[in-house]
Amino acid sequence: MAEITEPLLPAKEAPETSKPQEPALDFDPKTMRKTKPGVKRLILTVSVLFSFVLGVPFIYKSVEIYRAPLPFREIESLSAQIDSKPFQFPCRLQAIFIGFDWKSSIATLESSILTQMTKLTSQTPQCGTCSPNHTVSVILKSNSQCLQSRTTSCSPECGAIRSIELDGDDEAVDEVLESVLGGCSGSNSGSGGEVYSVVVVNRGEEVRAVVGKYRHAWIVGRVSEAEAVSWAAEIFVKVFVNGGKEEGLIHGEFMPVGADGTVVLSFNLLNADPRDWVYDWDFQSVDETLLAPIIEAMKPVANISVESQVLYHMPKSSLSYWDDKWDSYIFSTKDLPFFVNSNEWHLDTSIAAGGRSKMLHFVIYIPSAKECPLLLQLPDGEISKTNSFISPMWGGVIVWNPQTCRKDSESKRPSRHTISHQDLQKVFEVFMGQFRQLFGFKSDNLYVGASGTSSLLASERGFTVWELDVLSRMHTCFNLHSCATTLGSLSRLVQSLPRMIIMDEIGKQVKYSLEAAKLAQSNASHGIYNASAVSSRQARSLAEDAFFHPSIMSVSYYSFEHCFAVYSPFFLPVSIHVLLAAVREWRRHKQENKKYLAWKTKVVSS
Amino acid sequence: MALPLLLLRPILLLSFLLFAPIINFKAALGSVTEEDFSEELLLRPLPDRKVLAHFHFRSRAPHTSSNGRHHHLFPKAISQLVQKFHVKEMELSFTQGRWNYDRWGGFDPISSNNAKPPGVELWAVFDVPLEHVDDSWKNLTHALSGLFCASVNFLESSTTYSAPEWGYRPAPGSLRYGTLPREAVCTENLTPWLKLLPCRDKAGLSALMDRPSIYKGFYHSQRLRLTSSEFESEEGGSGIVLQQTLTVVVQPDSERNVMSYSHETKLQPSWSLTSIFGRMVTGRCVLAKSSTVYLQLDRGLVGQLDYLQKENELSNADKSVYEGFSSNPGFELSVKPDRVLKELNGFEKKTPSVVYEFYIEKYSESRPFDLGLTWKLPVVWSCQKAPLHASRFLMGSGNERGAIAISLRSTEVSDELLHTDMSEGRCKLEVKVFQVVPWYIKVYFHTVRVYVNEQPQEVSDVVEKMRVSPSVDKVSPGVMEMVLKFPCGMKSAAITLEFDKGFLHIDEYPPDANQGFDIPAAIICFPNFHTSMQFFTDKSVDRSSILSKFQENNAVLAYTEVLLVPLTTPDFSMPYNVITITCTVCALYFGSLLNVLRKRVGEEERSAKSKATKETGRLRQLLSRVSAKLRGRPFELPQPPSNSSSFISSKLILFILVAGIAVFWQVYFG
Repeated sequence: MAEITEPLLPAKEAPETSKPQEPALDFDPKTMRKTKPGVKRLILTVSVLFSFVLGVPFIYKSVEIYRAPLPFREIESLSAQIDSKPFQFPCRLQAIFIGFDWKSSIATLESSILTQMTKLTSQTPQCGTCSPNHTVSVILKSNSQCLQSRTTSCSPECGAIRSIELDGDDEAVDEVLESVLGGCSGSNSGSGGEVYSVVVVNRGEEVRAVVGKYRHAWIVGRVSEAEAVSWAAEIFVKVFVNGGKEEGLIHGEFMPVGADGTVVLSFNLLNADPRDWVYDWDFQSVDETLLAPIIEAMKPVANISVESQVLYHMPKSSLSYWDDKWDSYIFSTKDLPFFVNSNEWHLDTSIAAGGRSKMLHFVIYIPSAKECPLLLQLPDGEISKTNSFISPMWGGVIVWNPQTCRKDSESKRPSRHTISHQDLQKVFEVFMGQFRQLFGFKSDNLYVGASGTSSLLASERGFTVWELDVLSRMHTCFNLHSCATTLGSLSRLVQSLPRMIIMDEIGKQVKYSLEAAKLAQSNASHGIYNASAVSSRQARSLAEDAFFHPSIMSVSYYSFEHCFAVYSPFFLPVSIHVLLAAVREWRRHKQENKKYLAWKTKVVSS
Repeated sequence: MALPLLLLRPILLLSFLLFAPIINFKAALGSVTEEDFSEELLLRPLPDRKVLAHFHFRSRAPHTSSNGRHHHLFPKAISQLVQKFHVKEMELSFTQGRWNYDRWGGFDPISSNNAKPPGVELWAVFDVPLEHVDDSWKNLTHALSGLFCASVNFLESSTTYSAPEWGYRPAPGSLRYGTLPREAVCTENLTPWLKLLPCRDKAGLSALMDRPSIYKGFYHSQRLRLTSSEFESEEGGSGIVLQQTLTVVVQPDSERNVMSYSHETKLQPSWSLTSIFGRMVTGRCVLAKSSTVYLQLDRGLVGQLDYLQKENELSNADKSVYEGFSSNPGFELSVKPDRVLKELNGFEKKTPSVVYEFYIEKYSESRPFDLGLTWKLPVVWSCQKAPLHASRFLMGSGNERGAIAISLRSTEVSDELLHTDMSEGRCKLEVKVFQVVPWYIKVYFHTVRVYVNEQPQEVSDVVEKMRVSPSVDKVSPGVMEMVLKFPCGMKSAAITLEFDKGFLHIDEYPPDANQGFDIPAAIICFPNFHTSMQFFTDKSVDRSSILSKFQENNAVLAYTEVLLVPLTTPDFSMPYNVITITCTVCALYFGSLLNVLRKRVGEEERSAKSKATKETGRLRQLLSRVSAKLRGRPFELPQPPSNSSSFISSKLILFILVAGIAVFWQVYFG
């Protein structure tokens, strides 16, 4: 209508209310008016405009989508904190020297051990290791006296140490050490982290170093002071802190633990061709006797569940060739990437496992008669002793050859066998080694350091106590890292999509995740390894839950374009009308007012 | 001959029927100390020149308490499914094509158990407290959807599944039933199904499953049936039994016949395993406890062959079909059967069905098994049909309302079989109907009408028992369970139900909304008729899972057609159009109202006057001149301004009218 009516409304016309026209002398109706201009229409248009303006917040509120407030600043500070300062734990070392007749005081011993240790610690601080300012306490016991440094908060009495008999086999010695020194270790020691002790005994000729199953190591033999100090420092730094790992092995960031802290170990017995022979196993007993203690020991790091299956008609996909030298079929390390036949080996994800748990596949491959005995050749031409390999983050494969590769004479029925318990035990020892390797530990029991070779005692639980300490430290670090990155990505995503719906639940999960991360940090700084591992796991799984919340992927994503398309057909034309009307009325009012004032001045002057 | 004579007496037979499962069960308990697997294939020539191939695989695992949770043969995925969701019984079927009850039979165990509605059908009984059944069902659908690469997860929504009380099978409360009629079935569903078999399709009978040949058939149904007693007491539990069946109906290539017997059009096509599947059996799956192929001849076919024999060879009439195959006049088998089994027919005075048994153990790669059947004489026979032929169709037209009709026609078989209720004096034919209707088909259950022999009947006379759970919009489907009792002499019956078509929200339409919406197949069950087939077997019945399946006393069951209901489909850009046009109209109204409010009538009059005197509006003048010319009136000065406001308002009215017409047009014709 505007187009039609506007030209008919010349603004500079006569006053709106018809008044009796008084003949004035110089009255020019174009520039003057006698009456005050009315404000009725102005008020009307302005009030309409005003109500429109008032309505804008309401409209905005009504089209607004719900977004739970997320603590962006805290997320940022968490990731900044974790990125800037590697996450480290306090650790304590206790060095006990027995049978030395040294002149040097305890304080100098302590400082020399510390300097040795700092020399050995890598310059770039690594996540999940011990913080560089170690606490070292020294007990020096010679024939005549027993000196004890004051820094120890909790250490055995000299009298107790007197009774340490480092005779007998290593296992017994380890138990004795644990009974004497172990009272201090463990989470009951309060703040300050675990106490690792190295006992150096100056006796006899042959030098031996052993790292026990608990948190103790001992060196027996004729060693000089400097040697003893450097060796103790090395065992502490390389073994107790770093877990005896070699560089270049699997990095701590690839912890094969699912986002919800669970690992599913799936054991598969693969018969390449059941027409030749069928092998079965008694997995039930293995599960009960061999795997249960490991699962129990790994509790603080991961919830482990075990499942098994026997599969048939599962040929490998790489080829092998006959080698007369070994009198067997050979596959080399080059073939390993093609060994796992992903088309036919349906090792499958598990229904029993939750959505984000990690599957580790362990496969026993029994070759068919066509390729029996099947051996793995290492790059140096030797044959692999275990005949097995691992694939990081996936699992491990063992090729197990039957005793006789001769197929039973043309009988129709295939021979059915059960893998004997001894064989199965051997196989599971290899699996254990593979499992340790997947977690980044060495699979053999020797540590070769600069100061000498130390033998590591293996635990029947798969992992020794100090190894579990290393694992839980690394795991905490890894979890916090991934929690921080996940939350960081979530916050970036949320900030980049301003019209994405965010449920309250996500906000809650983020909040709890942050809380758990804080708790893990504080626990770690107090040296409570297990508790910090548990809460870091919680933090990570909550962060993942928030990130993968189904509502984030919701269909009802309500874009701004959509909103604009719905509302603009009404509000665009109407607001133009209202605005124009208000502007016109305002202009007119000003003009008329000017005219009135002009007339008034005229009247007054005349 | 004492045994058959005794068995002819119904009471004894009945007691045998009752005890047979218990004996089986005992035998099962005895043998199920370790996992076992058996594979079987049943072939049956069909009257309409087709062949039915029915693969049956059975895996059993003993109870967890005795055997532990680690399995050696049994698929891990299934046992985990049972353990996690506490599934007591479950059946999942993927079907393509429709079972032809008239031609392929409606009164045998295969048609009652393995003929399934097209698409996916899933039902499950859970062993959980009643309030958790729905949750278990939802989780199960998701797990199955992942396991079988199918959209079974669409059954999660409460609008797609129902909880029948007694209409489907008696498991009140803990049974859930859902179908997806539109699900397309192909090899991606078969591969995961085969993965559950220990030999997959690498060896044994499953090696016959050549994908092109089984998918080009007329009917294809892949089924997984699970029974578990994991959650019962240790004593009563027989562990988990998994039955996987694949039923295909294929047409053998009959080129050879046409070549040689072109004059004989009636001759059935001869076939062999190679001509049907293009493959042979090169040995059994070594892990199977038993591996057997059966060739079953229908009762009708055997009767026909007997008749032929009598006609042709009057000299040695005593030889009948089941005594020797070489002397058979009708057909010839390429492989000598290891055993011939004859059905024990107690009730009917019909010829018994005959099963030839072939053990695959004997065959190997060097000596493959290729069963062939060559017809020598033209034979025409018909399969045994269900007592009533059921079909369902839609009535009415338009997009507003309609009616569903289920029509039941008596078949010739029913007359002979209808003596079951004779003993009570009045002969009645009992029929159970179970039907699920999606919520957008709003069925009015009070409009149930029943016609018997095309005469309307009082509903209460015919309907014995009825349970209706009306649909709730967007929450649950409508379920109707009914038991009807018809007089025996009835020729036809019909049940009609009227419905209104609902409106869906725009988000609820599927991508191909114009195709129409499916009403899942109704299930018609005849509880008084049983599909039990007793075969005279000397020793372990337990050995063969197909034959023990045949012995089960199941009621005759038939599925009706899936109905396709066209619903009003909106133009999916309509919301935006409506928004745009209403907003424009509102904006116009608002703008003009504002202009009217701030109009100064007196001022306009004056300005118009001054304009007229000054003749400033040259363009206007020109325009009015033109319009005057057009109107054929002499040109006059623009109308007096007093008219102008009415002129404007009339323009406004005209405009609103046009807009109104546009809206109307948009709504009704757009």
